[in-house]
Amino acid sequence: MINRFIRYIQRYKGWFGGGAALCLLIGLYTGLLASPPDYYQGEVVRIMYVHVPLAHTSLLAYSVLFGGSIWYLWKRDPLVDNMCQAAATITAMFTGLALVTGSIWAKPTWNTWWTWDPRLVSFAVLLLILAGYMMLRRLVDDPDREGKYAAVLAIVGGVDLPIIKFSVEWWRTLHQPMSFSTRGVSISDDLLVPLLFMSAGCWLLFAYMLMIRTQMLYLTELLQAKKGRLLSQTHFSQSAQ
Amino acid sequence: MNWFYARWGLIGGVALLLTILTYQDYHTRLSTVPLQTMPGSSSSSKLVRIQGMVKSGTLSGDVEGGQATFEFTEGPVTIPVVYQGPPPENLRELKVLVLVGHWDAQTNVFQAQDTALLNNYGYVAAAYGVSFLALVWMLFAMSQRVMVLFKEIKESKLYEPEVDSLAKKQ
Repeated sequence: MINRFIRYIQRYKGWFGGGAALCLLIGLYTGLLASPPDYYQGEVVRIMYVHVPLAHTSLLAYSVLFGGSIWYLWKRDPLVDNMCQAAATITAMFTGLALVTGSIWAKPTWNTWWTWDPRLVSFAVLLLILAGYMMLRRLVDDPDREGKYAAVLAIVGGVDLPIIKFSVEWWRTLHQPMSFSTRGVSISDDLLVPLLFMSAGCWLLFAYMLMIRTQMLYLTELLQAKKGRLLSQTHFSQSAQ
Repeated sequence: MNWFYARWGLIGGVALLLTILTYQDYHTRLSTVPLQTMPGSSSSSKLVRIQGMVKSGTLSGDVEGGQATFEFTEGPVTIPVVYQGPPPENLRELKVLVLVGHWDAQTNVFQAQDTALLNNYGYVAAAYGVSFLALVWMLFAMSQRVMVLFKEIKESKLYEPEVDSLAKKQ
């Protein structure tokens, strides 16, 4: 039996994929072709339109993992566990790409690929937490304990989220301060439009990828379980003869 | 299955088109001409961009007023430049920069009318290339796997059709 939620995903995920593609296309066009270069940075400012959305999305994605882990510990729903597992892999991808694009941007602007800056270090720690999460899931054999331990690790790792968010205010840092805060938006409209489209595109892309990966994990487990049941039934009928 | 690959082909085609458009835009607006090609070339009013360094001890004129003469060098090649344009903020000796202007073959002087920041578009291309290739590869691999899993479940005897009929009633 295929879960009803998985069937809903199959039916509606295309809207998220289409929305992501549309937003990313508009974002790429406005970011790469229509927006002006920066007065000081020149053309490299265009890296912002891919780096910032990736970084925002990785924080959003980890928040989904964090919330899902609490939900799993409360309800013990295996599908939620699949969703958390899917979210972790995709979050790791977004976090890794945010670090790589940030490093590429740092070279022409800060003249270094990497510096031990609080924002950069706290972001790298997030990637290490996610790597630990994925390793833990591979190391524990029992599915129930695997889900439980992984959820606890994800919740504890959530401490890193506010550290990443406020690191630019708490410590002296090379990284620029927050462009969006309660004090308002400190970025011009020419730069804001592509940034918003790319951010929306990345969020929708994350949702789309999360749906597909959750489906993938669920269907893999379902197939394995059914094959196992079929094999045991065959074995039983052969034994009976 | 054909629809799946057609859709991904379409995505690839759009990505390729966007890459070509961006490259053309880059070539028109930002690419620089090697300094070696300037001496000996014919006069042209077409604006070109050249990248090099202002040679030490050659800068003279009213730089703050937007008028200057200097020698511009890159590797073994050095050309004379007359600058007339908006007051440049980044024009000083030993400074590496981009000049926008045209070559005057009669006087053998590069007539510059603007300066620009160094061409560092390679970083932009690297950031976008790495991000989109990684994300699209991951998405393609997952989508393909889900398609195969659905196919395997539906085509094998493991599939339980009564579930779908129940869903339709609901």
